[in-house]
Amino acid sequence: MNVEAMSLQDFRGKLEQLSEGIPGQDMSDEERVRRAKRAFMQKLNGHRAVDLDSCLQCGMCAEACHFYEATQNERYAPVYKYRPLRRFYRREMSPMRWFYRPFTRDITAADLKEWQHLVYDACTGCGRCDMICPMGIKISAAIRVVRHGLAAAGYVPPEMRVLRNEQRDQNTLFGVGAEQLKALVEKLGAQGISVPLDREQADVMLLTTAVEVLLFPDAFAATARILNKSGADWTIRSDVFEAANVGIITGDDPTMSLAIRRIVDKAKACGVKTVLMPESGHAYQTLRWEGATEMGGALPFETLSIPEFISGEVQAGRLNLKAQSNGASVTYHDPCRLSRKGGVMQQPRDVLAALGLDVRETPSNQRENYCCGGGCGEYVLSGAADLRQKAFEIKRREFEETGADAVVTGCANCRINLLIGAENSGWETPVTSLVETVAANLAD
Amino acid sequence: MRKDQNLGEYLRAQGVSRRGFLKFCSATASLMALPPSAIAQVADALAKARRPSVIWLSFQECTGCTESLTRSHAPTVESLIFDAISLDYHHTLQAAAGHGAEAARMAAMEENSGEYILVVDGSIPVGNPAYSTIAGISNLDMLKETAANAFALVAVGTCAAFGGIPHANPNPTGAVSVSDIVTDKPIINVSGCPPIPVVITGVLAHFLTFGTIPELDALGRPAAFFGQNIHDRCYRRPFYERGQFAETFDDEGARKGWCLYKLGCKGPTTYNTCATLKWNEGTSFPIQSGHGCIGCSEPDFWDKGGFYNPISAGMWGSRDALLGAAAAGAALGVGSALAARARKKKAQAAEEA
Amino acid sequence: MTLLDFASGPGMQWALWIFVFGVLWRLVGALFLLSRKDLTKPRQYNSVAAGLGAIISRSAPAHAFEKRILFQHVTGYVWHFALFISVLFFAPHILFFESVLGFGWPHLPNTIILITAIIATAVLITLLIRRATHPVQRFISNADDYISIFVVLIPLITGILAFAHVGGRYETLLAIHLLSVEVMLIWFPFGKLMHAIMTMPARYQAGTAFGRRGVKA
Repeated sequence: MNVEAMSLQDFRGKLEQLSEGIPGQDMSDEERVRRAKRAFMQKLNGHRAVDLDSCLQCGMCAEACHFYEATQNERYAPVYKYRPLRRFYRREMSPMRWFYRPFTRDITAADLKEWQHLVYDACTGCGRCDMICPMGIKISAAIRVVRHGLAAAGYVPPEMRVLRNEQRDQNTLFGVGAEQLKALVEKLGAQGISVPLDREQADVMLLTTAVEVLLFPDAFAATARILNKSGADWTIRSDVFEAANVGIITGDDPTMSLAIRRIVDKAKACGVKTVLMPESGHAYQTLRWEGATEMGGALPFETLSIPEFISGEVQAGRLNLKAQSNGASVTYHDPCRLSRKGGVMQQPRDVLAALGLDVRETPSNQRENYCCGGGCGEYVLSGAADLRQKAFEIKRREFEETGADAVVTGCANCRINLLIGAENSGWETPVTSLVETVAANLAD
Repeated sequence: MRKDQNLGEYLRAQGVSRRGFLKFCSATASLMALPPSAIAQVADALAKARRPSVIWLSFQECTGCTESLTRSHAPTVESLIFDAISLDYHHTLQAAAGHGAEAARMAAMEENSGEYILVVDGSIPVGNPAYSTIAGISNLDMLKETAANAFALVAVGTCAAFGGIPHANPNPTGAVSVSDIVTDKPIINVSGCPPIPVVITGVLAHFLTFGTIPELDALGRPAAFFGQNIHDRCYRRPFYERGQFAETFDDEGARKGWCLYKLGCKGPTTYNTCATLKWNEGTSFPIQSGHGCIGCSEPDFWDKGGFYNPISAGMWGSRDALLGAAAAGAALGVGSALAARARKKKAQAAEEA
Repeated sequence: MTLLDFASGPGMQWALWIFVFGVLWRLVGALFLLSRKDLTKPRQYNSVAAGLGAIISRSAPAHAFEKRILFQHVTGYVWHFALFISVLFFAPHILFFESVLGFGWPHLPNTIILITAIIATAVLITLLIRRATHPVQRFISNADDYISIFVVLIPLITGILAFAHVGGRYETLLAIHLLSVEVMLIWFPFGKLMHAIMTMPARYQAGTAFGRRGVKA
């Protein structure tokens, strides 16, 4: 099965043109600082305060960061990436603010501009540093607050800004809207894969992403086949199908809320019991682990990631897999938002093992896995291409150490980044997705 | 002892052998930290010494210092040395009384003007001079008058040297030390409650030998006797190093003679020679008898937080005060957090408006 | 009043007051900023077990990191153990704690304390040198980092000198030792030494945050 897709080459071209002719956000320096501070203030709570007050400045977090490891640039130490937040905390929110104020420099617009590189280009929010910190500080959460501040101050990188505006204003991404999805569904129908589009009521509502529709329609097709095979009562809505959330990526709260609300409202309207997230780590993390809090109350449905769903269906006996016996080996790349930030680590391994594959682990895996190098939308930033490539080399080393025939992952963002990295460095091991691997081995 | 007799002659007349005398001289020399070669010099000088005039004034005191000197078990070289000075005035020891006694003091002062040694025991009340008077003369006046023409002063005992027990908080009499009153004469502080007799005679021997006052430490005490602390010379020190401490006065450790640090021994901060010279002709000293040092030769030893409080326990105040500080800190923490949250809420409201 | 009287009396009193006052101020102040309740449905987990588990598990880095942080890991352990033994098991120290807390505990022989104190001092000096030379540590360090090292280093050194009666009269050394401890106590709540207290809530909240997502912190 092969659905016609945009080539990686074309997609990369599209990314490069993304920010063309996009003007910067005009704002006075005072206004930028004022807005950043207000965003910091809103995000500073007891958890962040305890974290900010706990840091030992031991610098171990640098040793967990793929960007530091790849460049040995001390500015990429995760602890440094949230320095503006710490300054603000110490000056304005800390219980000891009266004491710290005279010794702590205020943040300036120049700082914010400087940190744009540090928190967007040089951080994918993968949270590997969170796992090494001896104090248990959620460093990535603090850095995310810095992204919030920069977003408020108009310092979202232009590529991300374009996408955020598009999602907010047009409810599309990369120009993929209802038309494009319908076209794909028609194409699949022609190939004999039925997709129950736009049903009013269903048990399961599948979401997809623009990236999947454009680049990885095979993954979408695979998901549809798995759902059909398991006998699920499912649908996908052409009016609300985008799982990605550029709001959370950029640190823009209104857009994040809006994107979550669209999904939640639609799921409620369709009376769904399960919202099934496509292979997108951050999308799963956003809806599953922040949706209810963002909406102010428990959601009337459960949110499942693809590996959780497949593993559950297999266990329940609704989905049968063909176990291969050709001794093929794979290594599973844990997407950060699924693994250490989502708790989905065992399920994909179970599924791969059920397929009879020899699942090999990279030296760092599961909760300690290395980031693909371009997570959390970082891969759209053209200015950070070199940095990403250096980080990819770490990933490549890890993969090569396993000697596996293929890399399987559960996130389209990881997949794009790994594919681009492989293409740049002429690395030929195939990078594929979990759903496609499963769909290729469905038994009756 | 006749006035024209020198000390050597006197001692021989009293039946002290040359050997016994030299032994005393070598002990004195070593106590004064002199080289062995100085023993002969000490012996020679002491043997030829003429009896100096000594005036002994007792103020706010308990006579313990005098007792320490005179209540030796048997006549010793120390006590004989003491006999060898011309003790021209001493309340407790002199035979004369009333006006006769005062006349003797005046006569000695006149006769030996600029040469006599003034020994003082007891502190001087300055809060109200009437608290302690002798023959109607206040201690303060008598000290000033007698010190005026003295060669040097020896403050015997902690009361005279540092104010001692009368000076202890709240010091009702306004007691002060000799050195608080007399500032223009050399003063040797022989502290202790009471001081070791040998130390007093050693100081006098030094004076008899060299005609000068010995080297003093920062507190005006003869460095030869007060140069080292009790702890460094204590025979129980090995138990301290091994961490073997008596926990109570009647436990196994106490019976085994372990270190008394935990029972409040002030040995580490007390400079005296008790651990080496000991008391009652070298028989024992407080730590040897099972009680920690109370630090009696140090200033304000009575106000250092209790004899049975270990040195390291400190005087950090009450537990209630600490709890109070904790409560105040928590209250400030809550307050600062509430204020920060109020600001946050205000900023949020302003944004929504 | 002698220096020792001041150090063991009003000096210690004020230092302890400021210490407990500051610690509570900072701890309660940070916790009381409060966080929005997480309304998402957790995976099956026991929040207390996850929190307490993290307090323990964060004492050892995850396996994958071990190689890269071996030096800091080893020195960190040696430093803390040597320090705790020196501070908590030296007989005179226990007497001090007893006078503050009302209870004591068994002590270790002085020889062992002397060894641990020397080890602690040597490790701390090593860590100081590392902070001043390692590219990352040097870059991220501020005055607090160096002050915090010095205010701990000086009590260690003065403590060893007082113990060995080297370099001055015992009561002077003891007074300086006490004063340096008081400086440390006063600085404690304001600087990063506070981590000794914050480590509990910080690790606990990490444990529950990861635990509810089914991830071992």
